[in-house]
Amino acid sequence: MTSDSSSLSFSDDEEDESDGQKPNTDHNIDSIDYSLDAIENQLSSIALNTSANEETPLVADVHHGPVTEIVNGSSKEIESEALRNSFGESSRGYAGERGSSVGATDAPADGDIKELRNNSSSVCDDGELLDSIQSQWVPGKRHVHEDDASMSWRERKKHFFVLSNSGKPIFSRYGDEHKLAGFSATLQAIISFVEDGGDQIKLVRAGKHQVVFLVKKPIYLVCISRTEEPYESLRGQLELLYSQLILILTKSVNKCFEKNPKFDMTPLLGGTDVILSSLFHSFSWNPATFLHAYTCLPLPYAKRQVASAVLQDVADSGVLFAMLMCKHKVVSLVGAQKAVLHPDDMLLLANFVMSSESFRTSESFSPICLPRYNPMAFLLAYVHYFDDDTYIVLLTSSSDAFFHLKDCRKLVEKVLLKSNVLSEVQRSSLEGGMHVENLPIYPSTRSESLSHLNEPRPATVPQERLHKSVLGIGGPAGLWHFIYRNMSLDQYVSSEFSCPITSHRQQKRLYRAYQKLHASMHDKGTGPHKTQFKRDDDYVLLCWVTQDFELYAAFDPLADKGLAIRICNRVCQWVKDVENEIFLLAGSAVTW
Amino acid sequence: MGLSSAAATTMSEPLKFCIFDLRRGQHEGEELEKIMFFFPADLPFPAQLSVVGLSEGLITFTRIFSPEAACEVIEADMHSHVFFEAEPDIWMVMVVAKSKETEAIWRIEALRNVLKEIHSLFVMFHGSIRMLLDKEPGGGLIRSHLYTFIMDYLSDFLMGNKFLLPNFRDSLKERGTVQMLTVGREAAIEVQSLVGTLDSCMGNALGYSVILFQDLLVSTTLTPDDTVNLFSYGILRLTPRILSSGGSTWSYMRKGNASSHVESALDRLHGFQDGSSVRSDNYRIVRPLQHGKWSKGKDGFLVTDIWGVDVGNLVPTTPTIWLQQIEHKVYLCAYQHKSLTIILLIPVTSMLDGEEGISMLKQQLLENASSKIYKVEEKLAKGWVGENAYHVKGYRYLLVDGDRNISRASPSGKVTTLTKESLLALNKVREDVDLERSRTKGDDLEICIRAKNNSWVIARAARGKQLYIVLEKANETLLYASEAVEKFSDRYCNGAFSLD
Repeated sequence: MTSDSSSLSFSDDEEDESDGQKPNTDHNIDSIDYSLDAIENQLSSIALNTSANEETPLVADVHHGPVTEIVNGSSKEIESEALRNSFGESSRGYAGERGSSVGATDAPADGDIKELRNNSSSVCDDGELLDSIQSQWVPGKRHVHEDDASMSWRERKKHFFVLSNSGKPIFSRYGDEHKLAGFSATLQAIISFVEDGGDQIKLVRAGKHQVVFLVKKPIYLVCISRTEEPYESLRGQLELLYSQLILILTKSVNKCFEKNPKFDMTPLLGGTDVILSSLFHSFSWNPATFLHAYTCLPLPYAKRQVASAVLQDVADSGVLFAMLMCKHKVVSLVGAQKAVLHPDDMLLLANFVMSSESFRTSESFSPICLPRYNPMAFLLAYVHYFDDDTYIVLLTSSSDAFFHLKDCRKLVEKVLLKSNVLSEVQRSSLEGGMHVENLPIYPSTRSESLSHLNEPRPATVPQERLHKSVLGIGGPAGLWHFIYRNMSLDQYVSSEFSCPITSHRQQKRLYRAYQKLHASMHDKGTGPHKTQFKRDDDYVLLCWVTQDFELYAAFDPLADKGLAIRICNRVCQWVKDVENEIFLLAGSAVTW
Repeated sequence: MGLSSAAATTMSEPLKFCIFDLRRGQHEGEELEKIMFFFPADLPFPAQLSVVGLSEGLITFTRIFSPEAACEVIEADMHSHVFFEAEPDIWMVMVVAKSKETEAIWRIEALRNVLKEIHSLFVMFHGSIRMLLDKEPGGGLIRSHLYTFIMDYLSDFLMGNKFLLPNFRDSLKERGTVQMLTVGREAAIEVQSLVGTLDSCMGNALGYSVILFQDLLVSTTLTPDDTVNLFSYGILRLTPRILSSGGSTWSYMRKGNASSHVESALDRLHGFQDGSSVRSDNYRIVRPLQHGKWSKGKDGFLVTDIWGVDVGNLVPTTPTIWLQQIEHKVYLCAYQHKSLTIILLIPVTSMLDGEEGISMLKQQLLENASSKIYKVEEKLAKGWVGENAYHVKGYRYLLVDGDRNISRASPSGKVTTLTKESLLALNKVREDVDLERSRTKGDDLEICIRAKNNSWVIARAARGKQLYIVLEKANETLLYASEAVEKFSDRYCNGAFSLD
């Protein structure tokens, strides 16, 4: 099936399905297959009219082909070629680094594929490959039994699809990719139909549903959603999904498609469901996904300095990036000279590490690609967890650096333990950072510190705030939450969720409201705007965008406008007062 | 006139517009049967079918997920495809090219309102598309009616050889609403009395009346939907300004070449049929939107030969239209005195003696109502301060009452003083509000944006009403802008958007 004969190959595909490979065809004749048939007919009859000369010989099959190829071994060359491309020069060294379990330069392609499917090869202290880790992985994908004929599948709020430009399914958030071959071909037909007309489809709106398309040839990504998120956000999420795939495979996977348009990417993504589902989850709680900035774990300045200093030592010893993380928050981050880590890469890397169970159980040395840094090349990530949430990631381009990185980690660990940084990290992680209840009154007579603010301060607590805190409605003047983004640092700080934004549902709703606000402030045609005040049934939202910072604040929907503005000024002042503790000032990503 | 002669057959076509029926042309090779209308008509059939095929494909596709509301819009890099299901399975799709250079930046809902207006006006004059299809399943009847009607309608958007569809510069306008004249208490009583007299002139016929002053509605006894349609037609073809300007508000197309073009285009349109069954002269096509066809007679009644001429006495046939609120046709009878236009609508069924009855009615009106008409006109003219009557200094605004289909806006001459940036920002805010309203009703909403150029763009929605304001020379604080809106709301909207 080639991309320029969408309609023909599409119908071919459908016929294949009715040969028994797609069980739903017969008993759902009135529903989806009929629909798909209809769409296909509409498009194909048109295509016949418009471009009869585009007919290409029917290609035998489609999504079963590559599977067979792998089984019978004929694909080995393709796969290994793919991996060679992916790894570049470092692949040999990398294989060697793993020690005896898999050979060196002549490692069989199968071995490499397995590694990719695991997303990492876990290495014990003695350097042995722990293939058994694989079995511990719980796939993140749910509702695998569904397909496009199931009502439950159709009613899912947000679908993500990845397919090749020949229409072959690569990934679906819900349901079995193989059963979705027909559906996938429909998506491909739509995209290529518009493309044949010299245009590129971006969005389809129908009632509460939006269908968003992202073309990254040879890969197509589609989101079908009724979440009411703005188009820009959904498109941004597809970009991140694509980047997450690149992080796992590098862009050189494209070469596989160049060599063989029928190339089946699914085996390469085996086991990555859990990473992708974790990414989808972050689309509903992690502001970094739309702010394209990262956030730090609040920490006393001196403690963070200790961590940064030792990471700097490590970086100076030939490590490209050294990151100390607590969940998705940065404790410290240092890069080799001039190397810049994009916040999106950090987000995706953290997601990759945190969602892969194997990293927690042993130190690992895993190939990853940083799509914003260099989409074509693999780096190697040394990952080690110090405790349940705190981990170090050391990135290098050198495939034989494992033992060096291991030594680096030991050094870091020693310093962190000695200076109590790890316990401080745990404390901060438990206590959280900025609580709206603690918003100080200005002008303040005392020097502010976040850790002090988290302690009871009866004398300075304003009457107004005390009263409201008792009622459980957040901060002063109905302030419920805020996000402050420092533009020059590419970092943001988000207040902890307080009353009444306590349940996951409420938090998600607020997140979506911010997302909308962000999209409307940064409209491509007219933005960025300077200020926005928005009041609806749920919130009063205030947003400020300046050259130095962006502030997003949510208030009670009945909040007084004038008071809310004053409170926002106080929030900005507060953030400035404690910026030493909430931001990583010295070694920020952009200042190297 | 260049409507379709200018049409290149490439994708860069600035406007494509089709109407198709999903119930037709189900079999392979019969796809052309679906197409009821296509503009530009001389686009090769494969290109026409490509538009219809994509539309149909996406309607089917989106119904998988959203059975209750199928495809509404397709946004591609270079085009927007706007969908409207005018009648069950009858779809109107407009494909517009986007271009920053030519200011082709659209608000989807504004374009959909054009589609809605075309359809509701069509139904008012010709009845529903399905009805005409049922009448003549071959499709020739509906095709020829749609073609002439829509070409006449679209000609209003022609500037030079380009279509100027409503773009971001029209963000302070709302198609499909009426604009009312505000009258004082005394004048209102006079108007009321006139309406009573008109009623009695129509006697047992139980007709309806609509009164316009200039381009503004003074009074109506029709339902809001019918009022909107009549009002739209009135300001398109009947008001004194239109009649005095020689038939249209624009100056490009003139009768002669227009009709000859339409006929030749019709021939082409029908050419793709089986070639023999459809001939345009089989149908007598009434063209209510044809330009320059209405004029004012000596007796003050507006006359037109659009609906034909009685062969015997050469008297033009009285127009008949369909109203939504009653299932019968009504006669349309319009009278004009200076700035005042009175439209009477009399059910055909209650006018047993037809044209003769209409003549008697006219006579009655002249005898019994003319003094009142003069009086009302005089009174309204005295209170009328000109086209900037509803200008509010410092504000550029649009107020829409969705429940009553009424809107009021800054005069367009004043809106043109706004910068492009402000209008673009407003256009985007309106788009966001459109979306929000379609999802949640969005009936309690306040948005104040300070745009890059420091103008304030404000949207308020409350109790079925919407208010949009642009303040360009405002102080920089949000509180100042909010206060300005509050003042406006208290003074001009009966406090509908005031917070307390």
